[in-house]
Amino acid sequence: MNRREFLGMAALLPWLSALPAEVLAAAPRPQQRILVLVKLAGGNDGLNTLVPYTDPLYYQARPTLGIPKHQVLDIGESYGLNPYLKVLKPWWDKGNMAWVQGVGYPQGSLSHFRSLDIWETAVDASNYSDTGWLGALLPGCKPGLHGIAIGDSAVPITGKNCNTIAMQSPQSFLSQISLLEDIQPVTTNSVLAHLTNVHHQLYAAGEQLSKKLQHPAALGVNFSSSGFGRELESVAKMILTGVDATVYMVTLDGFDTHSNQAGVQSNLLYQLAGGLDSFAQAMQRGGRWNDVMLMTYSEFGRRVQENHAKGTDHGTASVQLVMGGKVRGGIYGDKPDLSHLDGEGNLSHSVDFRKVYGTVAQQWLRQANPWKPFGTLPFV
Amino acid sequence: MGLLAFKDAVHLVSRTGLGAEWDMIKQLEGRSQEDAVNWVLHSAASGLRPTPRMTPWLKLEPMRLNDMKTRNSAWSISQREGKLLQAWWVEQMLATHTPFIERMTLFWHNHFTSSIQKTLQPSLLYQQNLLLRRHATGNFAELLRAMARDPAMLVYLDGYQNTKSQPNENFARELLELFTIGRGQYRESDVKAAAKAFTGWGVDNNTGKFIIRPEEHASDSVTFLGKTGRFTGDDIIKILLEHPRTAERLTEKFWLEFVSNRPDPALVSVWAQQLRKSHYDIQRFMRTLLTSEPFWALQNRGTLVKSPVELVIGTLRTLPYPRESTQELLNLCRLLGQELFDPPNVKGWSGGEHWISTQTLLVRNAYLSKLSRGDLNDKSAAGVKLPNASEEQLVEWLLPVKPLQPLPTTPGARRLVRSLLLDPAFQVS
Repeated sequence: MNRREFLGMAALLPWLSALPAEVLAAAPRPQQRILVLVKLAGGNDGLNTLVPYTDPLYYQARPTLGIPKHQVLDIGESYGLNPYLKVLKPWWDKGNMAWVQGVGYPQGSLSHFRSLDIWETAVDASNYSDTGWLGALLPGCKPGLHGIAIGDSAVPITGKNCNTIAMQSPQSFLSQISLLEDIQPVTTNSVLAHLTNVHHQLYAAGEQLSKKLQHPAALGVNFSSSGFGRELESVAKMILTGVDATVYMVTLDGFDTHSNQAGVQSNLLYQLAGGLDSFAQAMQRGGRWNDVMLMTYSEFGRRVQENHAKGTDHGTASVQLVMGGKVRGGIYGDKPDLSHLDGEGNLSHSVDFRKVYGTVAQQWLRQANPWKPFGTLPFV
Repeated sequence: MGLLAFKDAVHLVSRTGLGAEWDMIKQLEGRSQEDAVNWVLHSAASGLRPTPRMTPWLKLEPMRLNDMKTRNSAWSISQREGKLLQAWWVEQMLATHTPFIERMTLFWHNHFTSSIQKTLQPSLLYQQNLLLRRHATGNFAELLRAMARDPAMLVYLDGYQNTKSQPNENFARELLELFTIGRGQYRESDVKAAAKAFTGWGVDNNTGKFIIRPEEHASDSVTFLGKTGRFTGDDIIKILLEHPRTAERLTEKFWLEFVSNRPDPALVSVWAQQLRKSHYDIQRFMRTLLTSEPFWALQNRGTLVKSPVELVIGTLRTLPYPRESTQELLNLCRLLGQELFDPPNVKGWSGGEHWISTQTLLVRNAYLSKLSRGDLNDKSAAGVKLPNASEEQLVEWLLPVKPLQPLPTTPGARRLVRSLLLDPAFQVS
């Protein structure tokens, strides 16, 4: 029984309310767990991120793009990390890093828009939803502020009752929120009730955020000055300043590597690794590393066979990186089977992405798992 | 039937148009309800803004079959011209004297969705928009038959790849699920049968126009919704138009767009029957709706959330504030969740309460705040000329229900108008 249920019962059982208030208040309340979503927009090539360097078929399919064996960062089990992820290697060694491979879904869509939609709303390829995968889940976690997205992209944390704020930067948010006055929710009709309730929630979240953002915690860690580095730095500051959101979201764009992939992806992975490393260090210094889980996702992986422009076309299954103090390090999911590709030359998935989501929902956010039939993975 | 009071004229104008234009309201005030509704329904459509320059299908399509560089350049063209097309509609909406036509065209765009992102053919989306306009207040049966032949739709829902040897069910499925009878009324076998009937309908690569290729058509007998025969696409459409759910679902959608957030099932069923009996005469249907008791009922005022387009463009048509650039207006609509010619998926925008979240409300409020700022004591600042009206009338003009926040105590129209714009009741109509 969690605290909310306990308090709910207290109202039902009169003898409980006779207990001194301190006893109720002292009911154990675990430190709020946090999920940081890192969206790798454009479709990140999983095979060149977590490299199956012992598979000859990999080098056959990637004559120019294959990462030579001597360059990969060996992490055992015949896998190697892309060399540009080097600064993350110590986190792997520490056991704070999990890779889930072969993640996808049946009838994978090769359209950026559609596949992203599927990933972000957790529907089957033939279904549609307006609610992000966390949008329905988060209102159950706690009242108040649920999610903060930096940048325009916030679909996973969108939902009618999900209190999410999307900001270009904390500065732009502060100037926007200062324009909003509070309102008491009304019941004139259900539309105005919803509207004024959202308005009030937004105001309350804004109050909390602006107070905290005006006096951000010092991180003591340097972040890269790239856009992505700054976004993660803002998230780290919000967390360590005690902003009370469950999910944060940042985006790194540009993974649609149809041509000259090597340079583009190396650069992006370098930015990604640098940002995540600084972020993890900041959390560790601030004493929150055990409360944080970082997770990447991308709309799809890429075609196994490289194309004639030294790039790769849209694919299906790919890898997800999960990091955190409580993460159980390791590699999950089956090794990609390069000998059995689908009609388009794409990988079959071995892990449905909703299995990953279900694990996060159940094992990390401690919510009922909406994707139970897909099972869970033991990465946390 | 009584004569329209000022606030009734406001209601009719803002529910059927884009914003609450003072001059239009003043034209309708004091007229009979029937007269005013006829005025809305029968005004001759304004001319269109000049067509943006767009690369024709004939030139763009072969580029996609070419090497990577040419393909990339086709993609860039489609993105650039897609933005021009979006700007074209926004400017049309700002300039038109018949906003009802824009509202109806947008309604159909949200029913028969197509996207510049999936099709990557802005010129086809432009043609589709013209088609929606032509039929905006015409006949739904004709519109449906025309949409099934529309090149943008054929590309968007893969109909052009639906052939005898490789049937593609995408269009058939959405035709049943979204455009007509809706879920629960058909089985998978009906989808397959419908897909078969439409095989061979495609786009002519030489002209970019609709074509039926008899050699790609599967002419064997199929069973569709209990009827068996050698059906063509038009036969399928005919059967769907005879199904009561088609008119009912359309009626519900109209209700949510124009009447209130709670359709009355009994009335929906009556209106739907009339719609079907009239062979889907949209204008007649709209007259029924706009002269109905629920449309005018006071308890239904303020139950519809303004869409981003209504909020962003409608406010500019209502009040004489200096406007942002067209690109910035498009950007605002995007942040608020409504990109013209690019709905989020084939279901379109859900609308209603879905428009309002903490994310979007922040942007809505910031936009209105920015728009109405300035020296509030200055009566004639930089071209902002407000109507000469009583405070009470200004409130009735801008809000469909009583203000939820106290009005400013300092007098002055600009200050009052700003306060009304920032009142949560301004978000509804």
